[in-house]
Amino acid sequence: MNTTIPLEEVKNVTLSIYRFDPGKDKKAYMQDIEIEVPANMDLMVLDALLLAKKKETSLSFRRSCGEGVCGSDGMNINGKNGLACVTPLSEAVKRNKLVLKPMPGLPVIRDLIVDMKQFFDQLEKVKPYLITKDEAPEQERKQSPEEREELDGLYECILCGCCSTACPSFWWNPDKFLGPAALLQSWRFIADSRDQATEERLDDLDDAFSLYRCHGIMNCVSVCPKGLNPTEAISNIRKKLINRKS
Amino acid sequence: MKEKDNRPVYLNPLATDLPIIGVSSILHRISGFSLFSIFLVSVWMLDRSLSSEQEFITLVKDLNNLFVLKLIFYLFLVGLLYHSLLGIKKLMSDAFGIGEELKSGTLISWSFNLIFLFIAVFLFSKLFI
Repeated sequence: MNTTIPLEEVKNVTLSIYRFDPGKDKKAYMQDIEIEVPANMDLMVLDALLLAKKKETSLSFRRSCGEGVCGSDGMNINGKNGLACVTPLSEAVKRNKLVLKPMPGLPVIRDLIVDMKQFFDQLEKVKPYLITKDEAPEQERKQSPEEREELDGLYECILCGCCSTACPSFWWNPDKFLGPAALLQSWRFIADSRDQATEERLDDLDDAFSLYRCHGIMNCVSVCPKGLNPTEAISNIRKKLINRKS
Repeated sequence: MKEKDNRPVYLNPLATDLPIIGVSSILHRISGFSLFSIFLVSVWMLDRSLSSEQEFITLVKDLNNLFVLKLIFYLFLVGLLYHSLLGIKKLMSDAFGIGEELKSGTLISWSFNLIFLFIAVFLFSKLFI
C-alpha cells in the first residue's frame, strides 16, 4: 500500500527537540527538524516524533503502548508536561512550531529520555503496597462498594512522572520532598480500608520536607494526563496528620 | 566516593507553562519577600525619626516631597494587599478545602488577582494622580 501523502494535503511543522548524546555531546542543544503532517487529520505528538525519527534516526525517546496507559512517553511539550501519545498536535503546536524537551529536573540519559531513579526512589519510600497485620483470609480481603469508591481517582495513576517533574518543590528538593505522584500513592494506601499501617505511614510523612513542601500550586493537577488530583490527596494526608495531633 | 553526575538536567522555570494558581503562589512569595525588605527600610526610617527632632522633621518633609519614598510606601501597601489576599486564599484551601480542584482553584485565583488589581489601581490614583 502506498502511504505517501499527496503534497497539497500536508502542512509543515517544525519540531524543536532537545538533543543530548552522552557519547558525543558535552552540552545539550536544540535541534530543529521539519516534518510534514497531514493537513486534514490530527496526529498525536508521538506520531510527529516518529516522523521526525525517520529523518533523524539517532533521535531517542521512550514509548510503548501509544495510548496513555504505560506512561513511558512523558515529556515537556511546549512548556507543559504531558504524554506524547495522547497530546494532539492541534493542541500542542503553536505557530507551526513544537518545542519538545525532557521532563524537567531529572538527569537526561539521552535526548528526551530521563533517568527516573529519583522519582522511583521517592515512590518506594511511601511503601506503595498493602500492609496488613492480620493473618491472610482464606479467599480475599473484602471491601464494601463504598470503601472501594474511596480509591477512585487514586489507583488510576500510571506513574508517568509528569506531575512530580512539573512541581517546583520537587525540583528544589527531589531527595527530600516526596513529590505529588508518591504522595498520591501514599494516600491511596492510607485511604484503603484493608491497609493496617496508617499510623506508620503517617509517622513517615510527619517531617518538614516529605509532605509539607507542597504549596498547592496545582501544576501537578494541571499536567496529569489521567486527570487525577494529587493536591487533594496531599491535603487529605495533611488533614489526617493534623487531626491525629489534635 | 560518589561519582559526579555530569548528565545535563533540563530545568527552565521561566519556560514552564504554570496555571494561574502557580503564578499567584510565586507572586505571593515575592510579595512576602518584598514586604520583609521594605520592612527593613521602615525600621531604618523609625530609627532615623527617633534619633532627633531635626531628623524627624526632615524625614516627614522627605516623605511628602520625595517620589521615591512615596513609591516605597505604595509598594509596601500593594505588597501587603497581595500577600494578605493570597494568604486568605491559602487559608480557605487549607482550612476548608475550597479551591482544591483545578477549576475552582483557577476561578478563585483569578478573582483574588482581579480584586488586587482593582484596589492597586485605586491606591495608585489616590497617591499619585
